[in-house]
Amino acid sequence: MLFQFQIKAPSSSARLRLLNILIVCLRRLNPRRLDCIFDFKLSLRGSLAIWQRDMLILRRSIFSELVAVVAYPLTMYLAFGIGMQGYIGMVEGVPYSLFIAPGLITMTAVSAAYNESVWSLWFHRRVQFTIESYRVTPISVSEIVIAKIFTGFTHGIIKGCAVGLVIFMITPFRFPLEHLLQYLLFLIPGSAFFSCAGIISGTVMDKPETIGKVEAVLVMPLIFMSGLFFPLSSYPLSVVPWVRALPTTALFDGARRALVAGDLLPLSVLQVSLSAFLTFVAAVYIFRYKMSE
Amino acid sequence: MTTASISIRSLAKSYGDLTALDSFDLEVEQGSIFGLLGPNGAGKTTLIRILTTLMRQSRGDASIEGLDIRTEGRAIRCMIGVVSQENSLDRYLTARENLELHARLHGMEKRLYKRRIDDLLELMGLSGRQKDFPDTFSGGMQRRLVIARALVHQPRLLFLDEPTTGLDPQSRRAVWEYIRSLAGSMTIFLTTHYLEEAEQLCDRIAIMDHGRLIALGSTQELKDRLTGATVYEIEFTGQEADHYAALLGSMSCVLNIRQIDHKVTVTLECWECLSEIVTALNGAAIRRISLKERTLEDVFISLTGEKVRE
Repeated sequence: MLFQFQIKAPSSSARLRLLNILIVCLRRLNPRRLDCIFDFKLSLRGSLAIWQRDMLILRRSIFSELVAVVAYPLTMYLAFGIGMQGYIGMVEGVPYSLFIAPGLITMTAVSAAYNESVWSLWFHRRVQFTIESYRVTPISVSEIVIAKIFTGFTHGIIKGCAVGLVIFMITPFRFPLEHLLQYLLFLIPGSAFFSCAGIISGTVMDKPETIGKVEAVLVMPLIFMSGLFFPLSSYPLSVVPWVRALPTTALFDGARRALVAGDLLPLSVLQVSLSAFLTFVAAVYIFRYKMSE
Repeated sequence: MTTASISIRSLAKSYGDLTALDSFDLEVEQGSIFGLLGPNGAGKTTLIRILTTLMRQSRGDASIEGLDIRTEGRAIRCMIGVVSQENSLDRYLTARENLELHARLHGMEKRLYKRRIDDLLELMGLSGRQKDFPDTFSGGMQRRLVIARALVHQPRLLFLDEPTTGLDPQSRRAVWEYIRSLAGSMTIFLTTHYLEEAEQLCDRIAIMDHGRLIALGSTQELKDRLTGATVYEIEFTGQEADHYAALLGSMSCVLNIRQIDHKVTVTLECWECLSEIVTALNGAAIRRISLKERTLEDVFISLTGEKVRE
């Protein structure tokens, strides 16, 4: 396959340097090296089979899953968005109910991704021992973990869309279609990030109560403190840079701006995407390490 | 010439200071049913996990059908079937879907696995329940389904890790029948706590303890390895058991004596001592004198001791 690209740089020597860096990067990303890291063997047959299994289970219980997943953010929306709207009024130039709607959709998606990954992996590893039964077939450990990451991601996207659709139907919350596409640039890597984080938790934690504690102490605070219900300007100035450094802030703040105002923040997209990639590498590595113990 | 299905050379596995496997050597012939016995913590499961490529050895080599377990894991997993101690069935999939998932993980084409699964469900007597979830099955049916799953891809070597644990005698015998029916078509490597199971099914048996192989052979060969001592059970009809037990206990050819009510069990140095015993019992009211056959359990206990393991 032939790729054509153009390097924009202020001088020819700078272009040459950039080209050299690009070549080194491509060499480092050769399939053999990737194989060493992930043990794919360039085959995701096993991942596909496990993902299809997970989707079959989701399809069987889709109605009850959606009812359960829509109830929580919708209650939050009605309580805060409608109930508090009269007291809060406008936030960053938009009505409060509009301000929190993207965050609630994003929260549903990433929570679903995290929860599916963490509980699914823990259950299959510690209770049902199905991970063990997958491991004696000719698929690699990486294929198993990639399947579980994709399952969490798919749960996140489906449930996030379901909540978005319900909010769209029963509230006056509206946005142009192009805003939705920009919003997806956050939602997709954001769900992947939380799915990978769930895989890490489900891999390293053997007790279900520990999983619950981590969710209460780490995951939910990260979501809630990332400007889900209030603007980042509410924080003291000295704290703002630290909060902005969090990938969850880039996700929630960037997603809201994209959906409500159509502002695409490339650095925030990059931050969320990079976090998702690094968590993916960590999830694969940690799962493989745990399995080899 | 028969070739080895499993070949193990100086295999060792350590967890920190704990040695689970220690210089383990073994060869298992193709097409045979091989039994591995040992008390809890002897290293059986560690050995199976290493051979099924779930775990890396610390030292030594092992090969499955000529393939090195260190470097040919994927190829080995293509040709082995594993029935683990836990059922590991997917309770959210029906019996048939469990088998289909396994077939897809093995990269089988739908037209091939559809027929194969039909055959296996029929063989295991589960055809009528193929659309039911495993949670609704009895323990025996679940075990049969796990065995069926391990056979979907037609493995050349089947690992059975305590396949009948927790089953009632009828279900256990049914599983034995299935295992027997597979004999010859593939190599079967079986671990069990039921010595009768090993005796009934296995061509050759290995006994291991503390990570080491301590005995290897057919059931008869293992029994023959016990000392030349012969055990007889004498049942008295009257109240003379105490008197004769004391008399027999004082004889030099009697190695050991035990009495329970009217029954006295004597262990003799050799069978030739029996005539001395019969002479000593002259006039006693005896209902029966019987030779007590050595069982595999006697061999197992004599080799691994009577102490309960933690």
